[in-house]
Amino acid sequence: MLASLTSVASALAQADGFERPAVDWHALAPELVVTGVLCLVLVADLFLPEDRKALLPSLAGLGLLGALVPVLTLAVDGADRLMFGGAYAVDDFALVLKALFLVAGYVVVLQSTNYIAEGDYAEGEYYFLLLSSILGMLVMASARDLITIFVALEMLSIPAYLLAGWRKRDRKGNEAGVKYYLMGVFASGVLLYGMSLVYGVAGSTKLVDIGEALATGDSIPMITLAVVFCIAGFGFKVSAVPFHTWAPDTYEGAPTPITAFLSVSSKAAGFVALLELIVIGFAGQTEVVRPLIWVLAVLSMTIGNVVALRQTNLVRMLAYSGISQAGFILAPLAVVGQIGSTTLTSVVTYLLIYAAMNLGAFTVVMAVARRTGSAEITSFGGLFNYAPALAVLMSVFLFSLAGIPPLGGWLAKFVAFRAVVDAGTGWAYGLAVVMAINSVIALAYYANVAKEMWMNPAPDGDHTPVRVPVSLAAALAITAALTFGFGVTNWATELGDAATFVASAVP
Amino acid sequence: MDNNQFLSDWGLTIMVFLPLAGALVMLLIPRTEEHLHRTLALVITLATAGVGAAVLADFDYGASETLQFVVNKPWIDVINARYAIGIDGLSVPLIGLTLLIMPLCIIYSWNHFPEPRNPKAFLILLLVLHTGMLGTFVAQDLILFFVFFEVVLLPMYFLIGVWGGEQRQYASIKFFLFTLFGSALMIVSFLALFFVTGGETFVIPDLIRLVPESDISRTTMLLIFGGMFLGFGIKVPMFPFHTWLPDAHTQAPTVGSVILAAILLKLGTYGFIRVAIPILPEAAVSWAPWIGGLAVIGIIYGALACLAQTDMKRLIAFSSVSHMGFTMLGIATLTDFGLNAAVMGMVAHGLITGMLFFLAGSVKERYHTLDIKRLGGILLKAPRMGWILGFTAMASLGLPGLAGFWGEFPAILSSYQPAPGLSEVTFRVYMVVAAVGTVFAAGYLLWLYQRTAFGTPTDEFVDADIPDVTFPEWIAWVPMLVLILVIGIYPNLVFHVTDGQMTAVADWVAAMGS
Amino acid sequence: MLDYAWIIPLLPAASFFLILFFGKKLPRKGSEIGIAAVGIAFALALATNVSWWDHVDNPPAGHETEQEAVVEGESAAVATPAQEGGDEAVAEEEEHTVEPVTQEVTWFENGGHDIKVGMLLDGPAVMMLLVVTAVSLLVHIYSTDYVGGDRRYTHFFAFLSLFTASMLGLVIAKSTLQLLVMWELVGVCSFVLIGHWWEEKANSDAALKAFITNRVGDVGLIIGVIILFWSVGSFDIIETNVAALDGTVAHSTLLIASCCLIAAVMSKSGQFILHTWLPDAMAGPTPVSALIHAATMVVAGIYMVARLYAVFFEGLSIGTSSVNLLAIVGGVTVLGGAGLAFVQNDIKKVLAYSTVSQLGYMVMALGIGAWTAALFHLFTHAFFKACLFLGSGSVSHAVHSFDMRKDMGGLKKWMPQTFWTFAIASAALIGIFPLAGFWSKDEILAGANQLGGSGHYTVFMIIGIVGAFMTAAYMTRTIWYTFFGEFRGHGHPHESGPRIVIPLWILAAAGATAGLVNLPSALSPDSTALRFEHFFEPKGNYFPAVNFSHPEFSLAIAVGSTIIGLAGVTLAYLWYFRGLGPHGITERNRLARGGYTVLVNKYYFDVLYTDIIVADVKGPIARSVYWFNQNVIDAVVNGCGQFATVLGRFTYERIDQQVVDGAVNGSAAAAEEGGQIFRQLTSGKVQQYGALLFGAAAIFAGAIILFV
Repeated sequence: MLASLTSVASALAQADGFERPAVDWHALAPELVVTGVLCLVLVADLFLPEDRKALLPSLAGLGLLGALVPVLTLAVDGADRLMFGGAYAVDDFALVLKALFLVAGYVVVLQSTNYIAEGDYAEGEYYFLLLSSILGMLVMASARDLITIFVALEMLSIPAYLLAGWRKRDRKGNEAGVKYYLMGVFASGVLLYGMSLVYGVAGSTKLVDIGEALATGDSIPMITLAVVFCIAGFGFKVSAVPFHTWAPDTYEGAPTPITAFLSVSSKAAGFVALLELIVIGFAGQTEVVRPLIWVLAVLSMTIGNVVALRQTNLVRMLAYSGISQAGFILAPLAVVGQIGSTTLTSVVTYLLIYAAMNLGAFTVVMAVARRTGSAEITSFGGLFNYAPALAVLMSVFLFSLAGIPPLGGWLAKFVAFRAVVDAGTGWAYGLAVVMAINSVIALAYYANVAKEMWMNPAPDGDHTPVRVPVSLAAALAITAALTFGFGVTNWATELGDAATFVASAVP
Repeated sequence: MDNNQFLSDWGLTIMVFLPLAGALVMLLIPRTEEHLHRTLALVITLATAGVGAAVLADFDYGASETLQFVVNKPWIDVINARYAIGIDGLSVPLIGLTLLIMPLCIIYSWNHFPEPRNPKAFLILLLVLHTGMLGTFVAQDLILFFVFFEVVLLPMYFLIGVWGGEQRQYASIKFFLFTLFGSALMIVSFLALFFVTGGETFVIPDLIRLVPESDISRTTMLLIFGGMFLGFGIKVPMFPFHTWLPDAHTQAPTVGSVILAAILLKLGTYGFIRVAIPILPEAAVSWAPWIGGLAVIGIIYGALACLAQTDMKRLIAFSSVSHMGFTMLGIATLTDFGLNAAVMGMVAHGLITGMLFFLAGSVKERYHTLDIKRLGGILLKAPRMGWILGFTAMASLGLPGLAGFWGEFPAILSSYQPAPGLSEVTFRVYMVVAAVGTVFAAGYLLWLYQRTAFGTPTDEFVDADIPDVTFPEWIAWVPMLVLILVIGIYPNLVFHVTDGQMTAVADWVAAMGS
Repeated sequence: MLDYAWIIPLLPAASFFLILFFGKKLPRKGSEIGIAAVGIAFALALATNVSWWDHVDNPPAGHETEQEAVVEGESAAVATPAQEGGDEAVAEEEEHTVEPVTQEVTWFENGGHDIKVGMLLDGPAVMMLLVVTAVSLLVHIYSTDYVGGDRRYTHFFAFLSLFTASMLGLVIAKSTLQLLVMWELVGVCSFVLIGHWWEEKANSDAALKAFITNRVGDVGLIIGVIILFWSVGSFDIIETNVAALDGTVAHSTLLIASCCLIAAVMSKSGQFILHTWLPDAMAGPTPVSALIHAATMVVAGIYMVARLYAVFFEGLSIGTSSVNLLAIVGGVTVLGGAGLAFVQNDIKKVLAYSTVSQLGYMVMALGIGAWTAALFHLFTHAFFKACLFLGSGSVSHAVHSFDMRKDMGGLKKWMPQTFWTFAIASAALIGIFPLAGFWSKDEILAGANQLGGSGHYTVFMIIGIVGAFMTAAYMTRTIWYTFFGEFRGHGHPHESGPRIVIPLWILAAAGATAGLVNLPSALSPDSTALRFEHFFEPKGNYFPAVNFSHPEFSLAIAVGSTIIGLAGVTLAYLWYFRGLGPHGITERNRLARGGYTVLVNKYYFDVLYTDIIVADVKGPIARSVYWFNQNVIDAVVNGCGQFATVLGRFTYERIDQQVVDGAVNGSAAAAEEGGQIFRQLTSGKVQQYGALLFGAAAIFAGAIILFV
């Protein structure tokens, strides 16, 4: 990989006579580390004997943690780095989100450890694909150029398609994979079409230039079309209504750790791209963006919620809840350009908190499913009696998702509210009220699960306690700690506030 | 006003978070150690009460209208939320009430935890609840206030849902959703308020200062107040947002209903006086007639509903709707008399209705039913309990010389002469209606008493063995009964504390409102 | 002593708690505490009276200056045009002003108002202290025998004490608020004691009826007090009166206030139309009826009017008018009550209705401006009516029943003492010269004749005289049924023990002689004349002086009323003792029968209240409200929830799954068949699938281009 990079560079150098850009290895370190590790996993998978395969997840996990180190050093160093002629930026925004992707990825690895080991599926490829997808996300966090964005997108999507269909022999598994894949392809198509239009108008693929080119204000239909198609393309990634249809089935069919991964990391990646496009590239087109996002947000929130109300399968329910959460995350973008940098802050804050609590919820689902072998909501009956700790943690994550203080979720929702109300326009207040009502509806189905766990008897009078493997316990510890911490401290908001684009990359 | 340094820096914080800390400790103790859990919980609540007592003792009652023990530290800068706490004449009585009720509840449930027992979880939830309630009464920052205001929801939801009666699941979720609906709109109002005042702070005193300075359109104020009104009004609960209350009360376990009646309902009325009215006096004046109207409707409506009840606990629940009506009427007058009456009403209703729910719980435990038709002759079976019931019923119908009267009469009194800018005619009509309400109160309470305590036991219970008041019950009840009497005889115990603050609020409204 | 009179109520109050907590353990089950407390209270009350008389005759030093102040106050009042003839008033005032003795401490602060609690000791208060403690003491002693061995003996005495305490507190109350508080407290004691034997539903019903009816009146009291508070700026009774007199309070306000307060009088003092609870209240033990429902509590209403007389005097312009609400209420009650007393077979019911009608006299007297007459009648009535009740108790003690016609008769020879005391008290009630009733009733009649504006209150004089006639008749009837004729009961009745008889004699004696304390000046030397008026009528700027005058003794009325009274006795004598007259007319004559039925049904008031109003509120109305609550308000709430769920199902099944999701659902099935996914790509579904994506995007774009 490293070699290839340099060769590409030199090739460019020979092509037309300009200086080979100086590569800032420090800035690229996280990506490089992950790249190295994923090669290592691939190789190790070949040579490790079956009984040692258990090392692979540890290897992947360590790799991800290792990649955190350069992220931290870069953060400490603090200098904004713009590379490849502004196509690739390592600024605070990028760093915060890389950290998010790495930690989330680590948690996913922890979740996967037993799940994959106990299912009779090849392990090596699994972690290889997982890591490559994460690598794509890392790139996405730094991408400031349509091409880079698209490359990153595909890099994180294609492994995800495979992972989604991982359970080959399972009908739902296949459906998950196929549906995700097909929808993904179409989305990419739409996106690509939009991007080409943008290029056509702006004459550049760099977001900054696009921003300046489109800043002229007068929105000719073609620009509008371009903007809408780009956003629609990512609307698919963030599973915003009406581009959400893949989510429920895919979530249900995919291996649960992958479901968690899709619902958190790849959704976050989608939002990263949206932020980059909307805040930098379409900075001049807010008149087009706002109404579009407004509609997307309202639809996602409302439809996601009401549909979640009638779900009987916890994972499907979480899928729809994820859709409505996406609506909440979109909300601040519906007032973009009217509230300064608050948009970035609130979206990023929301992403951080959402990652913590949603991953936590999925972890519990896995822990329980190990015993009940089902994700039906009813199968959680009486959990409080035979596994109080899990029941309490699940309640914590669910009510955090519902936004009940002092759990993290309330702060996420609050920053979203804050950003929207900040705009102070009638539309904004309208959106705020819709959000308010939706957060009530949402509580209904989250509480429904809590009710099942606390107030109903176990479906099969079986009260043997649940054995939670170390890796899952670790995942629970991390997510729970963060869910609580985010709720009562200023960590999340400080990070969200810090996540700003490098000045020179914003028109 | 020179409070002890340490206390003013740490007193409130310790008081608020001690129960939470205790809860965390108890988390680590295995479920089987029931006795340890009970003892621990009691010790914690008593310790909390001790700290609280120290603070209240150090409180400068001469200057009850000024915030004391103020701590104002940054919390979540990015959203301008601060850890701002402090207490004044308004908070003190309610904090006192909370500190008193919680240990009593734990003593009461000492050796009969409702099914499905599990004292560990039960007590931990109580402790979390404790922190939430205390926090609400000390918070001086809207966000902090909101957080504590919401924190109480979860434990109560589980208390009702897990340890409750037949329809506990319906009741608990109804309670939860209803209240959340209110607070969701409330938080929007808070934010709107924050931004229209220049997006500087959520600290209540600062907002009170900022609102007049920043020119806010009348409509905006009215809307913001409306949001708060929903948030607090549902909690009170005001007609017509009251329907969650009877279900919650009826289904909740005894201790749950006691806390619900004694303290949780007060969060709403407290919110009106602490947040809505001082910050938005103008809007308050415009809203007051509507609030007052709903209040008096609630008085009569609740009373009539009481007359239709066949279940003792449900009847008491509806009586809460009626009683809180008086409190809200007092608030709606926006006068010093009215506001004082409101606070007194909160304390009195807390003690009296809390006591009534205790009794209902004990009756249920002995008779295994609360069906009024089947009860009767309690005075013969368990004379002491019968007399305590009578005493409490008398207090509840607002008998002079007992606490309840001082919540009702001044409220009626104040509505004869509401704050400047309010229509006297309207409020005098309210006055008459409210006064008539006192007749209904006598009606349904005495009728209840006649059917339950007087007469002779129904055949099924003639030979039943009905133990009289037990030791834990004595411990739990005597303090409340004594307070009901003492406050009734010397209401200044409360008025003296609140008067300064309430007068300040009333003057502020009079100055700004019209 | 005067400054410490406030101790008097505290004694029984203390004894209440003592009896409650330690009573059962004591040899006499707590009665001794009660008797001791009330005994001491009585002694102190006497002492208070003595020192009060002294206070009246030779005012304390430094009084002069105060008098000046008063004079100024008055002359200031004169300045206000509202009052003509103020000069005489001033002149009158200067001669004798009696400063009331007051003590007060802060009760609570509220909105800058410093609400006081304290003692206002003036003529009426001193007088009431004496009456209450005296009767209460005798009733205590009487009860030790009467309710001896009762299951709730101790508790009975505890509440007697509490009642005495609250009643005394009411008497010396300095502020209307304090009055209101005590007013309710006596109500509660009455509730508890009426329901003393609550095992029977009838008794607890009576108790509830009493309490709730009083609550209805209290609405009036509460509102009246509130109005006065806001228009005067204080609860203080003296300040209220002063303000009412010197015109600081608008006449209309006073009118409204006094009308509200009259409602309270109606309920507490058993005036029509809120009197119905009083007869039922006889369900309580007889001593209770004597103390609470004859001598003391029921006169609280009269006392309240007397206390706030300036308010009523100005508000109803009693001094100048010839008819007003207060007088009407009183007058109606006099006749209405007396009428009902005729058809009762329960001896206590007779006495109860007679009480109602006598209270009517007092209210009427106040209504026509005969303040002294009213309180004088209150004073005398307390003794002989208490005596009558205790007498009836003594009788029922012997025959174990209250039914005159079934279980009594001929008791004269079995229980002579009871008979004689009963007879004396009845004579006093009828108003036979020279017994107490004669003097007090006569003063009221004289007042009705002389007082008031243009037309005088002549109507009410006639009412009074008719009332006197009826009183005489029904009392004679009662005595006949009880003590003469054949004994219709069973067993051998015997005279009651000393603890019952002695109080009877004391009260009878008092009832006989009480009248002498206010002999008209026409009939006695000044040193003994009008002592009651002299000592107990307030003299000061808080008591109406303008247009207020005292009736002169008029021989004509005195003789006339006596004759009419005797006529009543004679008629009843002939009818019952001699059996003359058209007996059985009620069977024969439709008119008479109609009248009789109306009386038996108590003018159908109970039907109206219990069967119509209360029943409807408790039944249909309450139920419909609750129905509304459950099926309208709550339905809306649940409806929202259900709507969300339904919406969810619809969106999920009709839109989410059908339209967009159906597209690919086939693919999985296909995939199973050898995993040939790619076949699906040609299956067409996928095209619409992609079409959806592009379509949606395109629609959005179009919409935005058009509308933004």
